Amino acid sequence: MAGRESGRIKDSIQKRILDDDSRKRRQKKALDALEQDNFHEDPHADLVMSKKVPKFQEDNKNSTRKRKTRSAEYFKLRFRKNFIQLVEEDLNYNSSSPNYTTAQVPQSCYPERHFCTVCGFPSTYTCIPCGARYCSVKCLGTHLDTRCLKWTA
Amino acid sequence: MRMSSSVFVLDNGGWTAKVGLSTDSPITVPNSIMKAKSERRRPFIGNQIEECRDVSGLYFMLPLQKGYLINWDVQKTVWDYIFSKECCPINLSHTSLIITEPPFNFPSVQEAMAEIFFEEYEISSLLRINPSTLSCYNYRHKNPTSKCCIIVDIGYSFSHIIPFVNDMKIKAGIRRIDVGGKLLTNHLKEILSYRQLHVMDETYVVNQVKEDSCFVSQNFYNDMETAKLKIEDNTIVKDYVLPDFTTIRRGYLTDAGTTLDQQVLRMNNERFSIPEILFHPSDVGIRQMGIPEAIMDCLKACEEETWPHLLSNIVLIGGSSKFPGLQNRVLNEVRSLAPIDYTIKVHLPEDPITYSWEGGKLLSKDPGYSNLIVKREEYEEEGHALCYDKFDI
Repeated sequence: MAGRESGRIKDSIQKRILDDDSRKRRQKKALDALEQDNFHEDPHADLVMSKKVPKFQEDNKNSTRKRKTRSAEYFKLRFRKNFIQLVEEDLNYNSSSPNYTTAQVPQSCYPERHFCTVCGFPSTYTCIPCGARYCSVKCLGTHLDTRCLKWTA
Repeated sequence: MRMSSSVFVLDNGGWTAKVGLSTDSPITVPNSIMKAKSERRRPFIGNQIEECRDVSGLYFMLPLQKGYLINWDVQKTVWDYIFSKECCPINLSHTSLIITEPPFNFPSVQEAMAEIFFEEYEISSLLRINPSTLSCYNYRHKNPTSKCCIIVDIGYSFSHIIPFVNDMKIKAGIRRIDVGGKLLTNHLKEILSYRQLHVMDETYVVNQVKEDSCFVSQNFYNDMETAKLKIEDNTIVKDYVLPDFTTIRRGYLTDAGTTLDQQVLRMNNERFSIPEILFHPSDVGIRQMGIPEAIMDCLKACEEETWPHLLSNIVLIGGSSKFPGLQNRVLNEVRSLAPIDYTIKVHLPEDPITYSWEGGKLLSKDPGYSNLIVKREEYEEEGHALCYDKFDI
């Protein structure tokens, strides 16, 4: 028996719904973006700095000094460790006493609040495909046009 | 024994370093190298940025990541600038240095720090200390009767809650919330770019927008309702006039709809929903407690008999504690969480940014100061082991 059924229900089956894992991935990506120093590329990246250009600073005047100052580059190589390495090292080295990892506050005991991802006001509805919050049909429209499933990694 | 002739205090923050000799007042120096689109010949180090006419699209190279010193080449360049004639000309070999580090700083970062100062800058002695300890010292100096205090340091990279009992830090009670000024600025950048105008490249300007227009709401949902009203009845909505770097160097807040010929950002619920993240990190998906709840959580690690003393001496420091209304909101929320028979007082210093620096200045005049430091000769003799023994983490 084909034919008579709700068009809305038929459409909703075809609609792609993001699974929990990709929702989490998206959220992690958004949180990582909040830690970025810069959004854009180094504007001087294409410049070639000539090393032959003399520096007209105190280096020349202080030529009588015995000690040779080391360049900033030296220290970059000398103490090369990234943040994740440092945290892991710290965990291995002093796991029993309070450390960076244990100092993080636990989860709040209050429920999360929800805000419209479009306008920022308190929201009551959830977008079915991606789980974002919205507050009105107008904001849902904007969300569907601009963000929903558009950045899927 | 001969005393060092001068003490230099360097509060090495993630956004700005607070520097100066203990005989002077502090200078605030951006702790970064910045590159401008308009000036392609050179980068700007620290306060050199004041020479830059057009700061749109500023690119930042920061030495600290999540509050910890990671990019040593950038840091060395900024320190070179700080100790140079341009900023604070000092003779390092006759100077004792107080430098700050975050709580639970990593051992290899600490070793690198000692090495750089003793072997490269050849300072005469070093004191490596927490900014919160300096703030505690400053607070105790002004309030000698207060035996305990909780330092709430809301900085650029993160916020820390650190309890002190009889000047001793209770390590088990230290709490970190991964929300600071940087996250707030980045989130504001994100929502403004989505709703109004693409400002993702304008960290520097949006940071000023945040400083100039954001405040902490005292009644969040009421303010949300107010923000929904039309402009005539809405007491929250404002326009932020953006700088154009010809006539306007720094933007400013003005009544909504009054500016026609300038580029503006309409600031409505953005004004208070940004600082709100400090109280509800879960609003942006960070599953952590907010500041008042974290203060109560930190108490649990301290002895119950210290609670009344701790709660009546809560001190807010750090740049992000300058949001209008923050002090009152912390007070009200802690009040509602804490037992009724405890008095709660939240102290906001006149300048929460330089409060730790001032503490360092006072500490350098303390008769016990010479026992805290490690001298260059001692370091050469005993190395890092001595630094571990002498400096608290």
